[in-house]
Amino acid sequence: MSKEIQQGTEKQNAHVQELNTALGAFLQYNPELGKELSLSLNSNNSDNQPLSGMTFAVKDNIAVKGFRLTCGSKMLEKFISPYSATAVDRLVGAGATVVGKTNLDEFGMGSSTDNSALLRTNNPWNTDYVAGGSSGGSAAAVAAGLVPFALGTDTGGSVRQPAAFCGVYGLKPGYGSVSRYGLVAYASSLEGIGLLGLDIGLLKTSFETMAGLDAKDQTTTDMACFRKTSTNRKGRVALLGGLEGLSPEVEEEYRSVVSHLPEIGFTTEEVRLPFLDYVVPAYYTIAAAEASANLARYTGIRYGLSDSEAETPRELTELSRNAGFGPEVKLRILLGTFVLRSGFQDRYYLQAQKIRSALRKSMADLFQKYELILSPVFPVQAFPHDSDQLDPFQQKLADRFTATANLAGVPALSFPTGLRNGLPVGMQFIGPDGSEDLLFQAAASYRRIYEPEHPERFIGRSEREV
Amino acid sequence: MSMKEGKQTGAGRPGYEIYIGLEIHIQLLTRTKAFCSCRAGYGDEPNTNVCPVCLGYPGVLPALNEEAVKQAYLVAAALNCQSAALTSFDRKNYFYPDMPKNYQISQFYRPIGTGGYIDYPVDSGIRKVRIHDVHLEEDAGKMIHAGDVSLIDYNRAGTPLLEIVTEPDIKSGEQAEAFLRYFRSFVRYLSVCNGNMEEGSLRCDANISLNRPGAGLGRKVELKNMNSSRFVRLALEHEVERQSGLLDAGETVAQETRLWNENRDATILMRKKEAAHDYRYFPEPDLPAFYPDEKFLGQVKQQLVELPLERRLRLQQEYGLSIEAAAYLTIERETADFFEAVLKVLQGGAEGFAATVYNWLNGDVMKELNNRNLSLGNSPLSPKRLADLLLLLEEGRIHGKIAKKVLSLIFERDRDPEFLIADEGFEQISDDNSLRKLIEKVCSDNPEALKQARAGEKKVLGYLIGQVMKSSGGRAEPQRTRNLLAEIIDADEEKEEKAR
Repeated sequence: MSKEIQQGTEKQNAHVQELNTALGAFLQYNPELGKELSLSLNSNNSDNQPLSGMTFAVKDNIAVKGFRLTCGSKMLEKFISPYSATAVDRLVGAGATVVGKTNLDEFGMGSSTDNSALLRTNNPWNTDYVAGGSSGGSAAAVAAGLVPFALGTDTGGSVRQPAAFCGVYGLKPGYGSVSRYGLVAYASSLEGIGLLGLDIGLLKTSFETMAGLDAKDQTTTDMACFRKTSTNRKGRVALLGGLEGLSPEVEEEYRSVVSHLPEIGFTTEEVRLPFLDYVVPAYYTIAAAEASANLARYTGIRYGLSDSEAETPRELTELSRNAGFGPEVKLRILLGTFVLRSGFQDRYYLQAQKIRSALRKSMADLFQKYELILSPVFPVQAFPHDSDQLDPFQQKLADRFTATANLAGVPALSFPTGLRNGLPVGMQFIGPDGSEDLLFQAAASYRRIYEPEHPERFIGRSEREV
Repeated sequence: MSMKEGKQTGAGRPGYEIYIGLEIHIQLLTRTKAFCSCRAGYGDEPNTNVCPVCLGYPGVLPALNEEAVKQAYLVAAALNCQSAALTSFDRKNYFYPDMPKNYQISQFYRPIGTGGYIDYPVDSGIRKVRIHDVHLEEDAGKMIHAGDVSLIDYNRAGTPLLEIVTEPDIKSGEQAEAFLRYFRSFVRYLSVCNGNMEEGSLRCDANISLNRPGAGLGRKVELKNMNSSRFVRLALEHEVERQSGLLDAGETVAQETRLWNENRDATILMRKKEAAHDYRYFPEPDLPAFYPDEKFLGQVKQQLVELPLERRLRLQQEYGLSIEAAAYLTIERETADFFEAVLKVLQGGAEGFAATVYNWLNGDVMKELNNRNLSLGNSPLSPKRLADLLLLLEEGRIHGKIAKKVLSLIFERDRDPEFLIADEGFEQISDDNSLRKLIEKVCSDNPEALKQARAGEKKVLGYLIGQVMKSSGGRAEPQRTRNLLAEIIDADEEKEEKAR
């Protein structure tokens, strides 16, 4: 590397560090470590790979070998991952370089990133506001131009909602499209690795690089099995009825987006999705149940926070968890344990699974007639830190538009549609299994109506330089 | 094959019906673990066969080992179970320091096999036990307590375990012991487990309840910590005594889990029912359901073998063997295979040879194997070599004592019997010239004895024969030697008489 480039790189890194101080997007920023990883994986190191020269950030609940894997939790604050997620390996194998790990709500549980036990993340549009969550660090990093794209994870909206809050694109792929190997499990049957970015072409390339069968995740599907499009649904967009409880700004924005859709060749029709009211209870029941088992492995025995005073294995586990887990994590573990108790499964867990099956079926029915569904991402825009606009319970209720796609296992993409009161608003397209490509196309078409903007303080460097 | 109900054995206390069910865990003999590619080996350095997956690191996922599933379907088929057209996994939640994820991947809702049965021999009879289900799961690590610290070895964590749950069809501790002995043989025949209870590759928990005849099952007591089939019998017999004592006294049996304590020869309370785990089973989201296809089921079918009891009955019928002989020969598939292979080489005289081959296998061959810590499969004795040895004996080319010597030499030198008897000069001396020379030498060395023999002392004749055998290294053919010696003694007498 020439001296000039090296100095340039150092300068750039220092600049990112400085911006990060204001944003709190990265928990760990270490491009050198990322380069080492790239060198160890890329024997051919050629410049004409699909993602050559691209840098990206990784949400800190996704494993990158040699980087920490904190999950925003004290439990794993010092844990260094001995392996990389399949999605990361594939991106690095295609020429991209990891620069660091981004902040999140502890174990992905939250909608503001304020549930991180390690760092506060601010919205680049107004640092008094939250970036959304749980992939808030990735959304903030992308919106501020610190990286051209970032990995997030979406269990009930955790990619799409922060994307909407920060004014970037956010893809939640269909369940099984991208390997979950290396994604620290919270709610295994709902979550997946997604993408945040401002360049749709880059997101598409990144998605195609990550997607597909993986022997390490037997729930992955072969994307090739979806390559069939029917024409009779072309351009037909279903609008979800029953949109009570939107903030005036989001509601106005939604109406405006609907009114613009015919300009880019879409026809719209209002539909009612049965079970929409049950999405949130079903989603939280299943997510908590799975979380109660997934988080049982944190005992302080093999890794992670370990209480040194404990005298028995049981005590070690109790003390380590008590100190290592935050209140939201404890709440969900308790809730999940509760709904799985024998004798109570019929009332909660199995009931939730029935709702899930019914929802899937009604979604599949909708996609017989419509190419896509349009809905808001979240009922409100980004809110101030420590605001009482949404208490934790209301934040959960607000997941109903996003969690629908997770329960059904279908892909969804949130896209920036405009600014209201100086803060971004986003809407989402939801498509049938295997329709990620279609979602990218639709979002690209909408750029004719609205070009995403950049927050003034954080000029979109990545877009200019890339 | 006729399966008759055997006579009731150890029928327990009069006045009570006894219901015993077993939960058996077998470690499957797969190359790799159930959900990762670590070696499924035993006896390696602690924590060497481990990876992020079997250590339950953050972010890892299980990937199902198809070989384990295949072995599970094989056992289910051999146990006459209904094999699942769709099988899936569930999480069983409980905390234990040596269980990395603190939940065990097991099967609850859709096990691999259900509703089967197995016939097993007890004494000279045959009994049937119904199988409730057969399901696949992962094993935990091993905790080792050393002074005031506990160490955990995760080599075993994630290795495939198959659990076989029987219906409560066993009526006594003795039957349970017989069942387990047979089951060991059964899994070894299928090559799915080495069946070692002491080392824990085959583990057994039991449940037992007593009740008045016709009143159905009683209150169930679960028994654990029995690491041999004998302890299973002893624990059950102890429970029959304990529970019938309680019932006799008009008390009720508490539903609880008890541990066998071999030092006290008694079961002791582990936990009451109220303290039982709630495992909070729910479907494992990380593993898709498994649908066995035609090809898979074909491969399973191909691995089905004749089971030990079937084989025992066939050997009895085909070769006229006694139950004891056939039972001995069929405990290990290796022995039965060897036995039949020897008879195949010896074809023709099979009927006559069967008992001989059994006697050799049960006698000298077993001794040689034990002395050298070998098994039939890895010893220098092939069926062909044993058959050749028996033929040499049959043809009179060697006699019994030499045959045993040759057997030892086969083990020592790993050569064929023909070569060995030639090389060692073991062939019996039966031609008159050679024998006469040996006898004349002995006679001239022992003039006194010869004189006494001539005087008609029978004992001395035996002594002289012994001397000939000794000087020939045991090779002189005994009958011919006796005849020739008699001739020579007589001849000498004639000569002397003539001289007089």
